[in-house]
Amino acid sequence: MSNPKKLNIGAWWKKLNVKYSLGLPLVLLIVTTLLSFLFQPNIFRPNVLSRLLTSNFRTWLPVLLVTIGQAIVLIGGGLDLSNGSIASVGNVILALTVVSADETGKNVVMVLAVIVFGILAGFINGVLTAYLGLQPVIVTFATSYIYSGLALLMLPTPGGAIPRVYTDVYRNTSLLGIPISLIIIGIIVLIWSIFRNRKYGRFLYAVGGDANAAYTTGVPVTWMKVSTYVISGLLAAFAAIFYSLLTGSGFSDSGGDMTLSSVTGAVLGGVAMRGGIGSVIGAVFGGIVLGNIRNIISSARINSWARTLVNALIILIALAGPGLLNLFRRKKFNERNKS
Amino acid sequence: MNETKVNNTSISKYKKSKFKLSPPLTALLIALVLFLLSGLLPNGFNSLSTAYRQAMNILRLASFIAIVGAGQTLVIISGSEGIDLSAGSVVTVGALITYMFINGNNQMILPILLIVLLMGAVVGLINGLGVMYLKISPFVMTLSMAGVVQGALVLYTKGYYDGKVAPIMTRIIARDLFWEIPGMIFVLIIIGILMSLLLNRTRYGKQLFAIGVNRLTARLSGVRVSSMVVLTYVIAGAMAAFSGFLLVGYTQNAGPNLGNQYLFPSIIAVAIGGTQMSGGKGTYFGTIAGAIVIQLITSLLTTMQLPQALQQIIFGSLLVIILIVYGRSKSLKA
Amino acid sequence: MKSIVLNTEEIRKRFGGVHALRDGSIDVRSGEVLALVGANGSGKSTLTKIITGVLTQDSGLVYYRNEPVQYHNPMAAQKAGIMAVYQELSLVPSLTVAQNIWLANEALKKSGFVDDKAMIEKTKELLKLFEGTYQSSLHPEAYVHSLPPDEKQIVEILKAISRNPEVLILDEATASLDSKQVNRLFGLIDKLRDEGKGLVFVSHRMDEIFQIADRAVVLRNGTTVGEVLISEASENSIVRMMVGSESEIIKETDLVYDIENKDIVLEVDDIRSEKLDGVSFKVFQGELVGIGGLRGQGQSSLLHTLFGNNQYAGTISIFGETIDFKHPKEAMRQSVALIPGDRASEGLLLIRSILENFHLPNWKAYGKPLLKINKARKDAQQMSEQLQLVMDALDSPVSSLSGGNAQKVVIGKWLLRNPKLLLLDDPTKGVDVGTKSEFYKLLINLVEGGTTILFYSSDDQELLGLCPRIMVMHDGKIRADLSKEMLSEENLVAASMGATSESNNHKDL
Repeated sequence: MSNPKKLNIGAWWKKLNVKYSLGLPLVLLIVTTLLSFLFQPNIFRPNVLSRLLTSNFRTWLPVLLVTIGQAIVLIGGGLDLSNGSIASVGNVILALTVVSADETGKNVVMVLAVIVFGILAGFINGVLTAYLGLQPVIVTFATSYIYSGLALLMLPTPGGAIPRVYTDVYRNTSLLGIPISLIIIGIIVLIWSIFRNRKYGRFLYAVGGDANAAYTTGVPVTWMKVSTYVISGLLAAFAAIFYSLLTGSGFSDSGGDMTLSSVTGAVLGGVAMRGGIGSVIGAVFGGIVLGNIRNIISSARINSWARTLVNALIILIALAGPGLLNLFRRKKFNERNKS
Repeated sequence: MNETKVNNTSISKYKKSKFKLSPPLTALLIALVLFLLSGLLPNGFNSLSTAYRQAMNILRLASFIAIVGAGQTLVIISGSEGIDLSAGSVVTVGALITYMFINGNNQMILPILLIVLLMGAVVGLINGLGVMYLKISPFVMTLSMAGVVQGALVLYTKGYYDGKVAPIMTRIIARDLFWEIPGMIFVLIIIGILMSLLLNRTRYGKQLFAIGVNRLTARLSGVRVSSMVVLTYVIAGAMAAFSGFLLVGYTQNAGPNLGNQYLFPSIIAVAIGGTQMSGGKGTYFGTIAGAIVIQLITSLLTTMQLPQALQQIIFGSLLVIILIVYGRSKSLKA
Repeated sequence: MKSIVLNTEEIRKRFGGVHALRDGSIDVRSGEVLALVGANGSGKSTLTKIITGVLTQDSGLVYYRNEPVQYHNPMAAQKAGIMAVYQELSLVPSLTVAQNIWLANEALKKSGFVDDKAMIEKTKELLKLFEGTYQSSLHPEAYVHSLPPDEKQIVEILKAISRNPEVLILDEATASLDSKQVNRLFGLIDKLRDEGKGLVFVSHRMDEIFQIADRAVVLRNGTTVGEVLISEASENSIVRMMVGSESEIIKETDLVYDIENKDIVLEVDDIRSEKLDGVSFKVFQGELVGIGGLRGQGQSSLLHTLFGNNQYAGTISIFGETIDFKHPKEAMRQSVALIPGDRASEGLLLIRSILENFHLPNWKAYGKPLLKINKARKDAQQMSEQLQLVMDALDSPVSSLSGGNAQKVVIGKWLLRNPKLLLLDDPTKGVDVGTKSEFYKLLINLVEGGTTILFYSSDDQELLGLCPRIMVMHDGKIRADLSKEMLSEENLVAASMGATSESNNHKDL
């Protein structure tokens, strides 16, 4: 036994990478988090860290939620381009109806209505893609048109006002220094890990890996795929709720950026677009990495005209990571073989 | 060959035979019906000449979608989830370069056209290399490049767009050329013929379908898969840039979001045209038909003077219906 | 007579205009192995898929334990105790061996969570059944995509067995297995038979059928044409039922090869790569050289390396010139052709037309920038007639062809190039007896016309019957180079197992 400790880390790292595709996303997470801290003075004073986490995660929570939903759909072999629009509808509904803190009964009902809408919209997506066999790229784009049109119809111009009481709770509450938004993410990831380690999780990865093989083996493929879209819709509804609590107002295109960010975040987090590979926690990492990058760019006071470009370039480089590593590894392998 | 595969695809053959028309023809039929319907509307056409003018206008607008859709068609046929989400930004940049550097000078047209095509080709090259060698999924790769291109655009122009369209281009594109047919339509016809020949009568086309179906078989049959993929994205980039070049001749000015409105329509046009997103099969004729359908629906909704929101809802719903009618891929059970 | 555990009555199934089954009627008895025999396209796979719930019949009944049943999905049939090992594997490549074996049959902890440890242990137990017949790459936590075809097949078999079926259908389960693995499988089948299970064995290999089956039922064009006791039947009688006539089935050739005055066409020196560990040999013009040995010893890898599809170290020279192919295209330019082992995933573009499949490697010859499609049609038509291809039209998708005919397209596509060196990677896998015979005739013609052929087959009998010279591979090396008096089944098997013998006639040249 040459070096037992070293062996363990190596095996652990390999497991992380191969089994969960988590290796690179973890590295990206650590690097971008450290960099973003670099630009914050006094970061290691407890108050400052807590405040930073709070302001970051309360803004990120909606996108992280749809990114989780997207990851689940992607792992199952699909794609949901309508999650942002579902969130927009939810936000608009809440902005229009949750106007007084006295009407708690009504407010609860409206929140439930948003959740029901998310589930229904997801179910429609699921039926169209899994049951009718239509291509997810096109069909969820079509439904996103419908849902965002719905949002626009309900709220042509930005408006609405969610009571301060509610938004304050969301924006500023923290337990033991951990903001409520981060706790919520933690809870969702925990709930998912329960499913992940039961038959549902096993079926999901099988369906995404090879739907035909899974079907022949007895996995209820159609039902599984539909369920992923329902989950995505549900999480989009949650995103709508927290977005509304974050901004306190409604905007018919509130989910506009969320959709494409959810895909990019999931992919950065190790989820493969072809299905069967990746993890929800990786997707969360990916989403945080995107947020960190944005923060770094604004803190570094990069010329505002250059920001879009720099943001896109950094994301591109991050995406190129796994591929570059592979090329490097392959070159080494070939050199070794030739000799 | 195991009988399983035989039987499964025979199923889809059976299902397809139910719809006697191929998807592009079905799309055209839908388009025709919609056009006639639009004529029945209060502010629809009341005479043959108005109908003709409207039809020409729709065809002209549809041609832009169709030309952006040309590159998109190639990329989607190439398989492995091929798609080009950078097309929108490349159209915008192509339009802007044309607008800003031709500046009303006819003699600059050819050199600027070459620069525009080169720009598109370079973007396509980066897309192709990223997809092929860095194994980045096309969706995410082209999406990120869209950001890079858009970002570069913003950085360079800093919000300041000044220029002028060359008179010849306006003459050809915005106005009629021969027999009261807009010049754009001739451009579309030429591109349509070239694309059809490219897909059906060239080695490139045959190899493109091959890599779209099965890249391993293609490689074992001597096809250089990597070169084909990269080349396809390069062509797609150049085509998108070219559409921008033409587009500005019609719109007479350019802005930072000019091209974005053509991105998703170009993809939808390919889908409506019957090309499967999984690759290996498709026609450019279908894309043109799809572009016409999209433009018809859009124009119809505008004529009906519905609020933007309702237009969106109806457009999305119609799209879903069209897809259901003939877009079904084979189901798992017989 | 043993009792019937499952039987089907006049099953009909149509796919569009294709009648896959007109009268599928079979009786499966407990404690018996029933061979289901028929040419490609005879309806065997369709019938088994209906029994296991993957497909639904148009009419006809399935009886299980004398009760009529209707399974609408595979899970329902599984729950009843009916399992199949499929020709087209039902494994998810991105999951591990253990995960695949236990998919939809997971071991659960009391809390409902999946019990990975238990499943890995159980998988180890299952793998013991095939111990000694596979390489170290096969272990419970290996990812299926990294396994060679024979190990994937073993996993598929174990998956079915692990569910303790009452009725087990093996659909071409031996196609990817070598002789050692087949023997082990037959041992398992014997055990199941003794336990009173009902077994259906679908295969093209007559010798296997006669080794393992008790009874055989023959399908032809979707109809059951007869049932016989194996003890009372002969290979010829069964073939006659399959084919419907007395056709000349070639199984052996009398090729004699004389290397005097012949040029060296292929010379290989110390090839090393991922799967090859120092391969050296010479091949002369016009030879038909067989490559044999157990599965996964580097045979396929060797062929792919010669075709420019693999990285390697060492020297290869073809037609006297040292070459260094970096891509199959370069090999093609030197008049080398490779007919790959898995036609669906390596040799054909399933949804494209027969015409396009024929010409995929050849379009360069049809002009530029525009292709002379009419000329291409003529040439394809000619080739299809030469190969006696049964098809609707050149524009029909290649997926509309039966297995044997599809293989002809794969062959034809390369013959159109008149290759001087033809490499064949287990081309008769899953091909029926009639087509195999035509194929052998074709190979003989080619060799007599001067083509040099390297022919890898996992079927020892086929190699022995066809080739005057066989190189047996083991562990990435050529263990034996058998010809003339050294060419015997004994030596072939011995070398396959790794025993070195003094049988290398060609080594001294």
